[in-house]
Amino acid sequence: MVEKTKLSNPASKLPGWRMWVQSAFLLVWLDPLGLRLHTICSPVFHCYACPLSTFACPIGVIAQFGALHIFPFMAVGLLIAVGALFGSLICGWVCPFGLLQDLVAKAPTPKFDLPKWVGCLRYVVLIGTVLAIPYLFAEEHPLFICRVCPAGALEAAVPNITSQAIAGQQIAWPNTLKLTILGLFLIAIFFMKRPWCRILCPLGAIFSLFNRVSVFFLRFNADKCTDCEQCHKFCEYGIKPEESPNDLRCNRCLECIRCGPGALTLGSIFEETQTLKSAFENPERKS
Amino acid sequence: MLTKKTKIIIFSLLILLGVVLLTYGAFFHSTDVLPQQEDGYPPIATSEPALIKEVSVGGVKRDESGKIKQTYTGKAPEACPT
Repeated sequence: MVEKTKLSNPASKLPGWRMWVQSAFLLVWLDPLGLRLHTICSPVFHCYACPLSTFACPIGVIAQFGALHIFPFMAVGLLIAVGALFGSLICGWVCPFGLLQDLVAKAPTPKFDLPKWVGCLRYVVLIGTVLAIPYLFAEEHPLFICRVCPAGALEAAVPNITSQAIAGQQIAWPNTLKLTILGLFLIAIFFMKRPWCRILCPLGAIFSLFNRVSVFFLRFNADKCTDCEQCHKFCEYGIKPEESPNDLRCNRCLECIRCGPGALTLGSIFEETQTLKSAFENPERKS
Repeated sequence: MLTKKTKIIIFSLLILLGVVLLTYGAFFHSTDVLPQQEDGYPPIATSEPALIKEVSVGGVKRDESGKIKQTYTGKAPEACPT
């Protein structure tokens, strides 16, 4: 029993650094030097209309280029390269919109779990509002991603409305649907862990596709697993990491690697993976 | 179950594809953009980085004929209209 709970795994300290890493990256995204490098996309979900944004949002660029019927080589190239390197690690450790939800989730409110299938909605959003609607109907369509995006509403519309109100100018209100989605999002983040990332984020949907082949992945060592199910308790998204360590719903927060026996670690495809292989080839690994 | 070798091959192909797309987009890809007042003005070849900046402020649109057209004259808008 003692063996199950002690923290023998050095990598188990990694999750403690997550908030610091997210905060450090926030300085990169919030443009403290006023560079406004909007000719380049970032690999995170941060609206380019935000007064504090260093780079362009890749999802916004893909949708806008779709409306122009131009292939966005840079945005797609960046997402493929970053996805191949890190997969969903970007969502858990780098994305500022994820950090916002993580911070609000610390509020002592009851948290509700979500059914597994809602994760599929991310692909519906990606295909529908980022690819199909922009290409077919251009940016005037009410379901064009930027017209419904809560990140845009929160990071761009709210600061702009505030500055217009302070300056005594005429206020340019966003559409009702966008405000409604923002309202629902602001309520949801108090009662669910990362609702945007888990239900609707099209960028997370793209990165999750790389989870099985990205350089960094979650490694499960069946030989060390004591079946204590600590990882189930650590995972805030209802994933059973020992069953599917590279689940599409995983955002690589790496909380599960805090498991006492050290059965879960952050691995790299360039390391030897004998134990991982044996875990999947031997279904009676826990007998 | 993907083997280590397969994963490395897939990763290498993806990185190569990503870098090729990025490089092509950044240095070789351009699009003709018509100025708002078309009369006599030729289209301007706009590089992809410049086009990214334009779309981020709603500075270009596709008209009925399929041509990309600037939405403003003079100073660019400050923020995306959406």
